[in-house]
Amino acid sequence: MTGPSAPSPPSGPSGPSEPGPVGGPAPAAANAGAPAGAGGPGGGTAVEPRTALHAPTGRSWRAFLQPLAIIAIGGLWMLYVENSDLDSIAARVLAPDYVAQKTWEHIELAVVSTLLVLVIAIPLGVLLSRSWARPATPLVLAIANIGQSAPAIGVVVLLAVTFGIGFWTAIVALVAYGVLPALRNTLVGLQQVDPTLTDAGRGIGMSAARVLARVELPLATPVILAGIRTTLVLMVGTASIASFISGGGLGDLITTGVSTQRTPVLLTGCILIALLALLIDWLGGMAARLLAPKGL
Amino acid sequence: MIPAEGILSFWEYLASRRELLVFETWQHASMVFQCVLAALVIGVLIGLLVYRRPRLAAFATSTAGVIFTVPSLALLGLLITPLGLGVAPSVVALTLYSLLPIVRNTIVGLSGVDRTLVDAARGIGMGRRRILLRIELPLAWPVILTGARVATQLAMGIAAIAAYVSGPGLGEQIFSGLARLGGANSINMTLAGTLGIIILALLFDACFLIIGRLTTPRGIRA
Amino acid sequence: MPDTVPPVPPAGPTRSAAPSGPADPALPGAIDPGDGGPPGEAASAERGGIQLINVTKRFPGQATPAVDNVSLTVDGGEIVVLLGPSGSGKTTTMRLINRLIEPTSGKIIVAGRDALGLDPNDLRRQIGYVIQNAGLFPHMTVGTNVGLVPQMLGWGKARIKARVDELLQLVDLAPDQFRDRYPRELSGGQQQRVGVARALAADPPAMLMDEPFGALDPITREHLQDELLQLQEELGKTIVFVTHDVDEALKLGDRIAILDKGSRIVQYATPKEILLNPADEYVEQFLGGGQAMKLLKFSRVADVPLQQVPQAAPGDDAAAVRAQIDAAESTFAIVLDERDRPVRWITVDDLDGLTGPIGDHGTGTARPIRVRNTLQQALEALIQVEHEWVPVVGPRGVYRGTVTLSTLQTAIKDMKEQTRSRRRQDKAADS
Repeated sequence: MTGPSAPSPPSGPSGPSEPGPVGGPAPAAANAGAPAGAGGPGGGTAVEPRTALHAPTGRSWRAFLQPLAIIAIGGLWMLYVENSDLDSIAARVLAPDYVAQKTWEHIELAVVSTLLVLVIAIPLGVLLSRSWARPATPLVLAIANIGQSAPAIGVVVLLAVTFGIGFWTAIVALVAYGVLPALRNTLVGLQQVDPTLTDAGRGIGMSAARVLARVELPLATPVILAGIRTTLVLMVGTASIASFISGGGLGDLITTGVSTQRTPVLLTGCILIALLALLIDWLGGMAARLLAPKGL
Repeated sequence: MIPAEGILSFWEYLASRRELLVFETWQHASMVFQCVLAALVIGVLIGLLVYRRPRLAAFATSTAGVIFTVPSLALLGLLITPLGLGVAPSVVALTLYSLLPIVRNTIVGLSGVDRTLVDAARGIGMGRRRILLRIELPLAWPVILTGARVATQLAMGIAAIAAYVSGPGLGEQIFSGLARLGGANSINMTLAGTLGIIILALLFDACFLIIGRLTTPRGIRA
Repeated sequence: MPDTVPPVPPAGPTRSAAPSGPADPALPGAIDPGDGGPPGEAASAERGGIQLINVTKRFPGQATPAVDNVSLTVDGGEIVVLLGPSGSGKTTTMRLINRLIEPTSGKIIVAGRDALGLDPNDLRRQIGYVIQNAGLFPHMTVGTNVGLVPQMLGWGKARIKARVDELLQLVDLAPDQFRDRYPRELSGGQQQRVGVARALAADPPAMLMDEPFGALDPITREHLQDELLQLQEELGKTIVFVTHDVDEALKLGDRIAILDKGSRIVQYATPKEILLNPADEYVEQFLGGGQAMKLLKFSRVADVPLQQVPQAAPGDDAAAVRAQIDAAESTFAIVLDERDRPVRWITVDDLDGLTGPIGDHGTGTARPIRVRNTLQQALEALIQVEHEWVPVVGPRGVYRGTVTLSTLQTAIKDMKEQTRSRRRQDKAADS
């Protein structure tokens, strides 16, 4: 079992916005030789918060550069590819309509599977975090950890072998692959809610359901939101594998590129998937920041 | 030895392909091990270089984060162009992916070391390098090791996809199964590859637990 | 292996002869008194005195210096407490001494050598360093923690082990029980004892202590303060002790430096002088009033003249005792046992109509107070007993004298008078 401090494996998309998983990057690490020591002089302490105070503003300003840069790179690449010398095979696959369709399929795969994952994982996580289910949580976490060591491609192909190929098989595969990390995240998020707070909730006469709704879930939101973001990015990545089983998506460009040995096609697929993942990660990060309860 | 065409039970399949499977398992394990080891060395070095400079540390973490966000199939595909097919792109991709958790945890681990302890170490006359070797690294080690463990789990799965660019390992079984989709033994191949990787991953994880137990001083064990 | 090699003989300007071989430069014996030490400081330098001369520390980006042109002399073997509110720069001042903070300008002399001319690490190995919460390394056993400095100085294994055991014993921790434990298995007080042991490991002539007892509960704190004083009696280190706790400063300091912003030394004097004669309003405000009570709290019974009353033994004749009391113009006598321990008071009334040995007439004395007790404790005892006198005993309970309310009153008056006259003399000498 991974310790509580372990970043969940496929997680941490962490654009520049997300702090490290393990307690976050310690702020105010040694500032050159300045004294950060205990009870330090008024001096040492005055120097350090400054960076801490300024960093977030700088970041949020820079945060908008990221999506713009991603879209610009994508656009420039498409311009370059469309205007370069392509043979008929490459030209057909790289037609703007076709690429747009594949991109849309990719987003569909990722979003639909993510929604399904959340619909399954969050209620299940809440259920498993109830006190009567607590004894089962270590077991579930252990199973989640084992499940996570299954390779995505293996899961996808196994399902294709069993259910045949196509979009919905791909969705099932993606969901099967994504549920465990999301479940884990929900469980961890709910577990880390300070028990004295739930106690306080009960103490002022809230029912168990109300404690869940008013105390536990709001307090666990940041972790759960981070989990949703992680799942989205994971799904974007795994969706590229879906093309192996005719699930559609930008992976098709990669497989076509490899099988027909057309490098521009291959590169377009790779670049667009990478950019899409980065963009979705950014969106997830923004959403997590906007939706998180104030005061946390 | 070419197996007879015809549907074999899973056990028959395993038995008939024993040598190949053992070879591919060994290749898979060996590739993951070497890549994670390389990433551990590189990652810890990067961590050491940047952890005292918050800006560089943020830069290193976010760069690794960007690489990490790029789906593995896309990165492998991108690497085909400069490196061709085979071992090279697989190894490079695996090492790159393994870097993120290791770099991040090295930085977090090192900067998580209680500053008063470093101060105490300086106060009793330890030099920079000695503080690093005797205080900071040992205290950050459990966190770094966790990073390596996460990296290993990750690399196991990505190594499977690397078979698409003709990388070595058990992924080859899965892709053979995919290629013969609907054919005889397709499911056996896929299952052999998938289960093999799960077992390997669990074995490696157990190794990490043991290594962690052996290399973490009792005083800071959780 | 970077710096495990015994340190190169420091190239301080005050060094006279090279030490013989890679001996331990941290042992007081190995620290040469320094024929080239600053003139007039040789005496204190020999015993590890510390001197700051016009030291200034300015942190980049700050308008005012954290330490502004401070000069301070700490004589060898004394405890000097730097006392001030947070932000006064007391910790910074202390950290300048072992160069955890490099001064912007000025001169620092430790044990007769120019601290700024030494390798900082060598310097620090010769100055014990104790911080709040002890700062023990959690991944090392107690033994390893204590043995770190000797190990860095290149001592042999056997010698380190012997030293570790010796030190653990010194701080009252059974070596067999504690040597192989990890810090987190110890209580806060035990950890801080290990911290002190670690600082003492290479027998440094000087120690810096940065609010070492600040995080402990009051009982443990008192206890460790007492132990530190006891240790100091044996070891005679030069100690610079930083605290913001006035009572702790008064209790521990041979001298106290009260600091204001920028480490300006407002008053540098003995606790008694500070209490009797605060230099200015700032000091008075910082002491927080109740100086008379504090004076009682931090003066010892041994420091005041005791009242002598007639003494008697149970076998003495009543008439003889009566005569003795009359001769002393007193109304009572104290009855001592065969080992000179106080047993009973006997008053003139008790003696009325009594003949022969006084036996067990009279009233039993209350629990005697000891010469090491504070005047405050004496006052408490006086308030609680039914008569106005309390016997004072020395080691082994031997009677020393008697304390009454007027004893205390006179003692405080005298102290005030003394400092006042000294001030006058000082002023006269100045002008």
